[in-house]
Amino acid sequence: MGDVPDGRQAARSGTLSIMNDHAVLLEEVTRTYGKGATEVAALRQVSVGFARGSFTAVMGPSGSGKSSLLQCAAGLDRPDSGAVRVAGEDITRLGEKQLAVLRRDRVGVVFQAFNLVPSLTAWQNVVLPSRLARRRPDPARVRELLRRVGLEGREGHRPAQLSGGQQQRVAIARALLGRPEVLFADEPTGALDRATGHEVLRLLREAVGEFGQTVVMVTHDPEAAARADRVLFLTDGRIVDVLERPSAEQIGTRLGGRR
Amino acid sequence: MTLVLAVSNVRANRMGVAASFAAVLLAVTLVAGGGLVVAAAGARDELNDVMGLLVLSAVVSGFVSVFVVAGTLSLHVLRQRRTWGLLRSVGMTPRQVRRLVTVEALVVAVLASAAGCVLAVPYAVLMAGFVRLTGLAPAGVPVRVTPGPFIVALVVGLVVTLLAARVAARKAVRVGPLEVLRDSAAQRRLLPWPRAVAGVVALGGGGALVFLVPRVEPVAAVPTGLGATMALCVGASALGPVVLRGIGWLLGAVVAGLDPGAGMLARASLVAQPRRAMSAASPVMLTVALACTFLFAVTTSDVAAGVTRTGASVWAAPTLVGSAVIYTVISVLNATAMTMTERAEELRLLRTVGTAPRQLTRAVVWETLIVTAVGVLVGTGIAAACLTALGQAATGRPWFAYSLPQYAGLVLVCAVSGLAGGLAATRRARRGPLLHGR
Repeated sequence: MGDVPDGRQAARSGTLSIMNDHAVLLEEVTRTYGKGATEVAALRQVSVGFARGSFTAVMGPSGSGKSSLLQCAAGLDRPDSGAVRVAGEDITRLGEKQLAVLRRDRVGVVFQAFNLVPSLTAWQNVVLPSRLARRRPDPARVRELLRRVGLEGREGHRPAQLSGGQQQRVAIARALLGRPEVLFADEPTGALDRATGHEVLRLLREAVGEFGQTVVMVTHDPEAAARADRVLFLTDGRIVDVLERPSAEQIGTRLGGRR
Repeated sequence: MTLVLAVSNVRANRMGVAASFAAVLLAVTLVAGGGLVVAAAGARDELNDVMGLLVLSAVVSGFVSVFVVAGTLSLHVLRQRRTWGLLRSVGMTPRQVRRLVTVEALVVAVLASAAGCVLAVPYAVLMAGFVRLTGLAPAGVPVRVTPGPFIVALVVGLVVTLLAARVAARKAVRVGPLEVLRDSAAQRRLLPWPRAVAGVVALGGGGALVFLVPRVEPVAAVPTGLGATMALCVGASALGPVVLRGIGWLLGAVVAGLDPGAGMLARASLVAQPRRAMSAASPVMLTVALACTFLFAVTTSDVAAGVTRTGASVWAAPTLVGSAVIYTVISVLNATAMTMTERAEELRLLRTVGTAPRQLTRAVVWETLIVTAVGVLVGTGIAAACLTALGQAATGRPWFAYSLPQYAGLVLVCAVSGLAGGLAATRRARRGPLLHGR
């Protein structure tokens, strides 16, 4: 049951699924919160792979475990059992310092809101992970990234001087600067209006198409999910369905059917 | 309803409530206890000689108490800006917000003042013991409980607490609810007009007092000098954010050169939020300025008079100013902890983008050290100005005596307590679970 999604994908694409084809691979991941009577299983032996250069959306009702999946996969939370492999390396055994290096160099995360350090300018926020690694990022590339996300001329602005959509786009630029193995986005359009949300989705789609970036996005919006190559559906901590390149209508029907 | 909200607010802000409680409690203890010693000494003719020093140390304690209580309460109320904004966005009127703040402050003030009055008696006995041990009053100071000192202390405890809370609440609700929720704190004017004017007036007054020190009667020189220190402290504290942004920018550049990631974070935070940082630098400045003026004024007059203190009497001056120093040092710890608690969310965010635990620790340490350095520099400057004037008054030359070990000890204590407060307050955010409340 656990490796159904992976198996299906391998069967459909006709390639043999070997470890290194995946930017991230979850193996039998279980995550439980609380103890005793209040115990809640957020993830039950979930196995899934995210192929390099793919755009995956994760959907499900609230409490289905979709955010837990993202947090475990991004090394923000530690599963109780199972393995999470980023480029083949199991990150569940890493210490806090190695996890910091992982988050800095190999994984990018964009949350629904509060992605930026309030005291840093847009430019400083983008280069922060590089500076933490004592690297000097190429200014031309930073400028180019900020231009691409539509923030030309706003490099010196602090988050409080930027709109919600602009803040999201700075966060995406920051995540892309380090060319991470995978970019995770947790409801990246959840706090934005439709037009601004579309802009953010277009950027994520472009990152996949042009830079071969792997993107995993948790969302509850069928239209947002329809921009992905593949949509996983979670219920009660299990992956219950996978749709390849679905339309928003198909996703809506799929969600409606469950309700 | 107000009561329910007040209670839940207290729960959500334990740190700030505890800091406010401690500030008021210690202020009342210090003022009432110091007052009891002065009252007891006043009843004895043979203590007339040390009366001046005792009164001065009590005045220093009183000033420090007002300063710290006002600062802590104002920080506590302003820290909850987001809560006030949220409450207003669901329909609470500014008046109701102010009432909520007042109720909370009143409860804290009453409880802490009561506890402070109780502690004042043993504190006064202890102080009297020290005064006897150091040879200031070989016959001892018989402490008796009289109402006067308690009344003064309660005025400080209740009135200052309530006033500071209400003024801060007025400031907090003047901003529109949405602006607050949008977190536009960084955009607030660095130096509002009233603050700038008050700062300049206080600095001017302090400057005038410094000028007067060598020109008043010799008996009045030391009180005038201490008055100058206090006025300059008030002025520097008001204008402090501008100074802090400047020095923070400069020292931050040095630190960012040494330690690119962590240094950049420390520097950015100081430059973006100098007012927040100033609330932690103020008590350091106050400690250094007042303690140095008091201690080295005594040293200077000793040297000028050819007196060499030996044995226990070396500790006479440090003992008298000691409790005020302990109090300000506690408030350094308090203020640093409060300003850093506010940053928990930011620190977790820094971890999600890959800041290593040690880098985070270093960022907190750098920031605290720069803030302490600013406080020490300004405080030293103020003390040096007043001491030079006092030296001029005593000997006719612009000069003063000082003790390097005492000075170094003061600076060290300020730095250590700032670091302890900052590191303790951020421990959970730096090392605890990353997904707080998710």
